[in-house]
Amino acid sequence: MRVLLDPTSERVPSTRTLNPRPASLDGLTVGLLDISKARGDVLLDRLESRLVADGVTVRRYAKPTFAKPAPVDLRHEIAVQCEVVIEALAD
Amino acid sequence: MQLPDGWVVVLKRDCPTCTLVEPVLHQLADAGGLTVYSQDDPGFPAGLTVVDDSELESSWRLQVDTVPTLLRVEDGAEVARAVGWLRSSWEELTGVTGLGPDLPDHRPGCGSRSVEWGVEEELDRRYGERILTARTVELADLEDEYEAAYARGWTDGLPVVPPTEARVLAMLKGTSRAPDEVVAVVPPDLVECTVEKVAVNAVLAGCLPEHLPVVLAAVAAACTDGFNMHGVLATTMPAGPVVVVNGPVARAIGMNSGVNALGQGNRANATIGRALQLVVRNVGGGRPGEVDRGSQGQPGKYTACFAEDEEGSPFDPLAESRGVEGSALTLFAGCGWWPVVDQLSRTPESLARSLAAGLRGVGHPKLAIVFDALLVLSPEHGRVFREAGWDRARLLAELDGLLTVPAAELSRGVDGMAEGMPPAMIAGWGQAVPLPKFRPGGLLIAHAGGTAGLFSTIVPGWVSGAGGSEPTTVPIGA
Amino acid sequence: MHDIADLEARGLVGVFLASSEFQDAADAQSRALGLAVSYVLVPHPIQDRTDEEMTALADAAYDAVLAAITDR
Repeated sequence: MRVLLDPTSERVPSTRTLNPRPASLDGLTVGLLDISKARGDVLLDRLESRLVADGVTVRRYAKPTFAKPAPVDLRHEIAVQCEVVIEALAD
Repeated sequence: MQLPDGWVVVLKRDCPTCTLVEPVLHQLADAGGLTVYSQDDPGFPAGLTVVDDSELESSWRLQVDTVPTLLRVEDGAEVARAVGWLRSSWEELTGVTGLGPDLPDHRPGCGSRSVEWGVEEELDRRYGERILTARTVELADLEDEYEAAYARGWTDGLPVVPPTEARVLAMLKGTSRAPDEVVAVVPPDLVECTVEKVAVNAVLAGCLPEHLPVVLAAVAAACTDGFNMHGVLATTMPAGPVVVVNGPVARAIGMNSGVNALGQGNRANATIGRALQLVVRNVGGGRPGEVDRGSQGQPGKYTACFAEDEEGSPFDPLAESRGVEGSALTLFAGCGWWPVVDQLSRTPESLARSLAAGLRGVGHPKLAIVFDALLVLSPEHGRVFREAGWDRARLLAELDGLLTVPAAELSRGVDGMAEGMPPAMIAGWGQAVPLPKFRPGGLLIAHAGGTAGLFSTIVPGWVSGAGGSEPTTVPIGA
Repeated sequence: MHDIADLEARGLVGVFLASSEFQDAADAQSRALGLAVSYVLVPHPIQDRTDEEMTALADAAYDAVLAAITDR
């Protein structure tokens, strides 16, 4: 187990936290990332319809294979084009 | 540490003296109670009671630095010891005569495994009293230790050295001060910063332990009311502390005062300035976009630290001129670095005019008294003054004369520039009143650089006076 | 989950969907990554579901997904 010493004033927790969530999805682009396992695309199709019906901008992406993390250029593309990402569907 | 009564020998098989005295150990075992602690092979010596100390805990607690070490134990505690093989000492300690008749009278021992390079530090950390009090951060299995620092906001944008306990303990050996001693109260969050916290940030920065005393002095200087680190941080001007080091410490720790002294490449220069900035960021909470409002900033905010070239200087050391002799540093709130080219002046008067022409532009050519400046004179320029016999006071007086102009010339609107001294202020003083560019003591001169290059460097300062920053000189201790 | 952790590090807000079988693996991976990534589970099995069934699963998970990516 690797231990480091905290260089800060220790006034905030040292654990990594998730990014703050926006109040709403208005004006944001949501990326739907398909991990390319069977049936996931159907689920994402439905999430897309629901989001679009709610007025949200959606972009679709797919990994080449579910077996590995997404390639770096795909992650970069998503990061540039979207503020929010939903990845599905692992089983 | 509770020891078995009688005699105890700490040894390792991988030691010719320890194997030499094997027959003596059997003699002692036969004569009374002998317990052997082995640092490597509990099967040696065969036929005796051997305690496995390959973890070296007992060796560490007994502070064994040579094997074999023989101890006499009474009521669980050591009362005497002998180190290495010396028949007379072993016989005296044990009261048993005729030990090792076939052995030479004496044979020095070998180094104990518990004091090998790196091992002793690890044993100190494992079994010693815990002296580190900083919060520990456990990395997740898949967490890269360099990314972990970025993810937690500990860096200045460049990677930092992961602050492991071993590295911080090694860093703390660079100072004789106690780890829990408070060095300074660091703005903007006004946090009490201990020697230990400075050491953690010095590790991040890439410092060596011998750099730590300079970092400690720089942190203390930065956090004085006079230097006003909070102001230096919060200003929209591109201000950052510049560390100028004087005295024997500079050479002792390998600082650069010569070629490219203000630039990259020297570990001490690079990491000492960086450690100061990381303390302000991590301990003080001063970060860009938050309290640090520098509109454009400047690269000197990564690090800005150099040593003065005292040997070649035409003047006394900067710190000495400010009342502190020996190893010391001066902290200056600098806003950038620009060269003054003068490749033709052979006289001090001509060179002074070139320098003054550059200095006039500090802040704004029509603003007087508001800003300080640090002039870093190069050796080739310094030579001109040295050969003319000009000391610091002479040059400052010359520059002051050249940089003093009638107030009216600096008024707002003059020369088509809206910027300038407020007309009401000038009216109050009088149009013809001569205004010096710099307040008394506001122009500092240091000497550094390579011996080829007819350029000096002006470091324009931040705002001077109360509400601004005062150049601060402090001694560097241990 | 590594993808979502990476994208969070790049400043995005992320959530991933997985079947309920994935729960233990998800928690273990969170610990290994040092980041409690948001996830929403849907009932197992997945592979042999019809389109209508997958659509129903998506509808059932929709509110939880929104809750994971907004501040409501």
